[in-house]
Amino acid sequence: MRNFYQLKILGIKKETEDSTSVAFDVPSELYETFNYKPGQYLTLKFSINGEEVRRSYSLCSSPVLEEPLRIGVKRVKDGLVSNHINDNLKAGDTVDVMPPDGRFFADVKKDSYKTYYLFSAGSGITPILSILKTVLLTEARSYVHMIYGNRSQDSIMFNTELNALQEHYSDRFILEHTLSRPKSNWSDLWKTSKEQSYRKGRVDTDAVKWFVNEYPPYAQNAQYYICGPGTMIENTKKALKSIDVPEDRIFIESFGGSASVDTTKAYENAKLTAHLNGETIQIAIPQGKTVLRTLIDAGKKPPYSCEGGVCSTCMCKLTSGKIHMNNNLALSDKEVEQGYILSCQSIPLTESIEIEYE
Amino acid sequence: MNNQKNMMHTLPVEAYTSKKWFDLEQEHIFSKTWQFAGLIEDVENAGDYISVQAGLNNIFVVKGRDNRLRAFHNMCRHRGTQLLRAVGKGQKAITCPYHDWTYDLEGKLVSIPKKEEEFPDLCNKELHECGLNLHEASVDIFKGMLFVHPDKNAPNIMTFFGEVEPYLGPHIPEELIEYQKNKDEPFYAKEINANWKIVVENYIDQYHLAHLHEGTLNMYDHAKAEFGWAGPHYHFYEPLVPEYLADIKNASPFPLIDKMPENKMGAYVPWLFPNIGITESESAWNTFHAIPLAPDRTLVVIRSKTMNVSEWEYTKQYTKSMTSKVWKTIGNKGKYEGDASDPMASGDFMAEDVYACEQQQKSLSSPFFSVGAQAQKGEFAVSKFQSVVKEWIEKHRNDA
Ligand SMILES: Cc1cc2nc3c(=O)[nH]c(=O)nc-3n(C[C@H](O)[C@H](O)[C@H](O)COP(=O)(O)OP(=O)(O)OC[C@H]3O[C@@H](n4cnc5c(N)ncnc54)[C@H](O)[C@@H]3O)c2cc1C
Ligand code: FES
Ligand SMILES: [Fe+2]
Repeated sequence: MRNFYQLKILGIKKETEDSTSVAFDVPSELYETFNYKPGQYLTLKFSINGEEVRRSYSLCSSPVLEEPLRIGVKRVKDGLVSNHINDNLKAGDTVDVMPPDGRFFADVKKDSYKTYYLFSAGSGITPILSILKTVLLTEARSYVHMIYGNRSQDSIMFNTELNALQEHYSDRFILEHTLSRPKSNWSDLWKTSKEQSYRKGRVDTDAVKWFVNEYPPYAQNAQYYICGPGTMIENTKKALKSIDVPEDRIFIESFGGSASVDTTKAYENAKLTAHLNGETIQIAIPQGKTVLRTLIDAGKKPPYSCEGGVCSTCMCKLTSGKIHMNNNLALSDKEVEQGYILSCQSIPLTESIEIEYE
Repeated sequence: MNNQKNMMHTLPVEAYTSKKWFDLEQEHIFSKTWQFAGLIEDVENAGDYISVQAGLNNIFVVKGRDNRLRAFHNMCRHRGTQLLRAVGKGQKAITCPYHDWTYDLEGKLVSIPKKEEEFPDLCNKELHECGLNLHEASVDIFKGMLFVHPDKNAPNIMTFFGEVEPYLGPHIPEELIEYQKNKDEPFYAKEINANWKIVVENYIDQYHLAHLHEGTLNMYDHAKAEFGWAGPHYHFYEPLVPEYLADIKNASPFPLIDKMPENKMGAYVPWLFPNIGITESESAWNTFHAIPLAPDRTLVVIRSKTMNVSEWEYTKQYTKSMTSKVWKTIGNKGKYEGDASDPMASGDFMAEDVYACEQQQKSLSSPFFSVGAQAQKGEFAVSKFQSVVKEWIEKHRNDA
């Protein structure tokens, strides 16, 4: 099982009005453990108001650059952890961090010759930035075509870094900004770069089709990476599939949190039997709690990291009874058919349920 | 190879005359390399396709709505009938003419007439899961040219061409437009009565330039030619002669290629293994495709691109070129005196080359034939090319 390590915060930088990036100091003996692929995330653990909470944050740094591990965190309205990070963390603090993980990453190789289409919006830039930098630096012949959606000029994370990359790799890096509510008064930052322009609107079906038509691939081995909030991922994927982009060339990362309001009612005080780390636990599931939370509150140590239905770390097998998952962005239909569930998303629907962590 | 006398440089003479060698090359060279398939504008819009013979395989390239090209073997999975003819536009699906089996543009089988009646036991899954989708091939773009490879997991095209890329001209063929004398016909196409390697060896032979073409290619300074090999590919550059350079803006037959730097005006003439040459000059960019038809027959197809400027610009340049004094002394005089129908008196360097190739091929069947000597610099490329051919066949024969 993956453990947490205490990492010291090397530096904190305000990126935009409502986002911050955090750089970690990884001691040399942990280099190997914290090695990562561009696109992967870290899981951070905090204790806030007496409760242990974990959240995942994608690395926006590149493993091939001599730079510290860095994450970018955008405030979520009323969000517990994102605001805690933005408000309270400072250089020198230590944070419990689980080593990098995740299935969303680019397999970057020196000799590859590809066209990478990168679609991102808002905080979804983080894993995309890591892929972008790694590809440009490593694959001298590959092309990157990127579209980045934001609300306005001011909310573009890593704008300076992106501009510098665009300048340096202008022959094979295309970057288009699209803004849903552009400011007519250009900010100072905006004015300094001569040619920067943007498209109006979101990263939606029209934008995706326009972009792929405007910038056809030169290298024919094209791959499509998508990360962003809300319906952006679904919309982008749908647009790509509507123009016959094969499924196996599309890669997505969801940050969760966008599930529509779920009104499914749990079975009150259902009995849970859980087989975990060789122990059999019997306990009632309080109203409003997930299977995972119930176990954590009882002092048990079930595996989990994102608690958002994305990473599948909390996966277990349902051996009797029925459950409902609020959000499932990790398990395939086949896995669900075989009885696998995400315990962080599961609420009971029957009087008793039994699960087994493998 | 039993008789050491009957050698070219590195290859035996029979490599230029026998069906056995022709077949070996078709199998191990032309079916195992990236093969020239055309120019990117040949497949411009979604649903447009072209098909090409690439060694033993006929491969078609089609553009998807995502602007990405796909390549498939042009062969119905039912009874093998060739699906598509040479070129076509706006295709939505691909239907075999024989029994109407139909595939989508991803190569997936989507319909079989009378499926339930005639093929009840074929497979009880979706049609595209029955293992009868079109065989995939590979396609990619290099310097504005389309290349296909019969293997869907072909080594990427830049590992094949990457090494020679730095030696190519500054031309951006995508920005140029095709120059056609007759609509939809290549600039030049001719069957030559010589083995394809004779044609290649002529193309890469620096020694002959000042002799065979003494009156036709003397606007280039052969003494200053720089040439060599990068991987299996040959590269060559030579500058203009000072006389032509001095009046280049007038003398050039076409508007000058805007990407050519004034201090490095000349011709880049690389040969990309196995059978595509490029001629990148101060005013034109040409592909030179040598397609083997038989041991002693080769089809040469040249496509030509020039600057994308108005007809008026061409007319002006042509007039200036006609009146330039440069052409009074260089560029278009045949080696022999005589009628223009005699290739050696035609003043056309291409006709001179064809003539030389055919004359050499004629001698290969003579029991007295042998290569007497090799110019150590000017003909080095000839024997080098032969060893590349030899090594490629040996390597791929052993892999099989
Ligand atoms: C693999 C992975 C990678 C991630 N990478 C990043 C990253 O690089 N940068 C980053 O800022 N975040 C990232 N996230 C999201 C992050 O983990 C948290 O979910 C987010 O910071 C909100 O947590 P919170 O505690 O502030 O909000 P919570 O207190 O958990 O939630 C408060 C409210 O906001 C909603 N909500 C939760 N998450 C989101 C969201 N992402 N968008 C909109 N509404 C939400 C909830 O439904 C709830 O109503 C990632 C998530 C995953 C699974
Ligand atoms: S903890 Fe990530 S899916 Fe449940
Ligand atoms: Fe010649």
